[in-house]
Amino acid sequence: MIRRPFILPIAACLASLAPMHAQAAGGHALPLNAQPLGGFVTNSMVMIWIAVGLIVLFCRAATRRMSLVPEGLQNFAEWAVESLYDFLGGLMGEHLVKRVFWFFGSVFFFILTVNYLALVPGVGTMGWESAKGFTPWLRGGNADINMTAAMALTFALLWFYWAITENGFKAFIAHIFAPKGSFHGIMLAMMVPIFLFVGVLELISIGIRPVALSFRLFGNIYGGEQTLEKLMTLVPEKLAFLPALPFYFMELLVGFVQALVFTLLCAIFLKLICDHGEEHH
Amino acid sequence: MMTVLAAADTAAKSGLAETFGLHTPFFIAQVVNFFLVIFVLKKFAFGPIQNMLEQRRLRIAEGEEKLKRIERQLAESEQTTAAAIAKANEEAIRLIEEARQGAQAFSEQKAQEAIAQAQHILAKADAAAQAERERLAAEIRRDFGRLVVATASQATGGVLTEEQHKRLHDDALAKIA
Repeated sequence: MIRRPFILPIAACLASLAPMHAQAAGGHALPLNAQPLGGFVTNSMVMIWIAVGLIVLFCRAATRRMSLVPEGLQNFAEWAVESLYDFLGGLMGEHLVKRVFWFFGSVFFFILTVNYLALVPGVGTMGWESAKGFTPWLRGGNADINMTAAMALTFALLWFYWAITENGFKAFIAHIFAPKGSFHGIMLAMMVPIFLFVGVLELISIGIRPVALSFRLFGNIYGGEQTLEKLMTLVPEKLAFLPALPFYFMELLVGFVQALVFTLLCAIFLKLICDHGEEHH
Repeated sequence: MMTVLAAADTAAKSGLAETFGLHTPFFIAQVVNFFLVIFVLKKFAFGPIQNMLEQRRLRIAEGEEKLKRIERQLAESEQTTAAAIAKANEEAIRLIEEARQGAQAFSEQKAQEAIAQAQHILAKADAAAQAERERLAAEIRRDFGRLVVATASQATGGVLTEEQHKRLHDDALAKIA
């Protein structure tokens, strides 16, 4: 029996050997870019629509025979949606969550499904070799920076739209540049340039947030997939599943946590930008 | 928005985007794609579930409202019932008092009637007794008169006249009257 204190060093040692072994075994790595299958359709885009199809099928099955006393799939679907709704409601408030849940609910379940689908054996590992290198048929949707960036940009656009429609354009600008607190006379004159500078920093912060959202999700998912793939090259082919197995459980957790983190951060950003307006009103 | 674009531009210039596989045509395609994804999920996936949850929330709110209304009505009903019971009690007490007074008056009336009837019966009995006594006295006098006359006739040997008989009879009656 291996004692627990030895597990981490052994895992670290195996991980450090992985690239060398993979190269020796002639293994391939998941390319960094999503590959086009034809036109603008990439292998990650196919996965995205498979995920959407599965979500829609599940929801249609759950809502086929809707009853006021839910059971079976309807019960599970309502529990999942209502739990998220209540969770976000506690964070953003009843008014805001009622308005924006369609986006946050969709994003959370979409990211979760896409993340889990990326763990299905064959995704990212089955494909063809060409002069450009290995091209997988399917690729985890969130292991494509274009997808995560698209989600972050969509959120950013909706973020500004919701902030402006909730508080008004003036309050939105005031939230960024106006002095926070009650200043009068000379203090106000001194504070104005400081808060203008703070506003510029806030603008940079706002600009960085979608970028951070994109890279965080992409990095975690792509990194996870790479880890699994590398671990499988550490041992002979027949036992390839073995070292990756514990990390599959970790990736299941990462898939959930990353979906939650993305949704939660978006919710917090929205709440922060809308909260200021509520104080003024 | 400007800062996002500026950040994207900077990233593109520095080759960061290229390093991570961010390509403008694919990025735009994914933005359009994601809009479609969101629309499809809203329309076909979470829309019906959210509607159901909203309906249930409304029903629960309605149920709670109904419960409050029923509780309010019950409280009102209890108040009305208590008032009706109090009123009925008052009415019952009044009726009992009236009945008691009526019974007392009736009882007194009946007693008076009984007394009057008894007195009437007694008076009648007295009158009857008096008449009987008088009849008996008259009969005794008549018999005594006849006896005196008969005795006198036998004692005299039947020599007394009718006039004497009558006088003797009247004298005897006068003496016993």
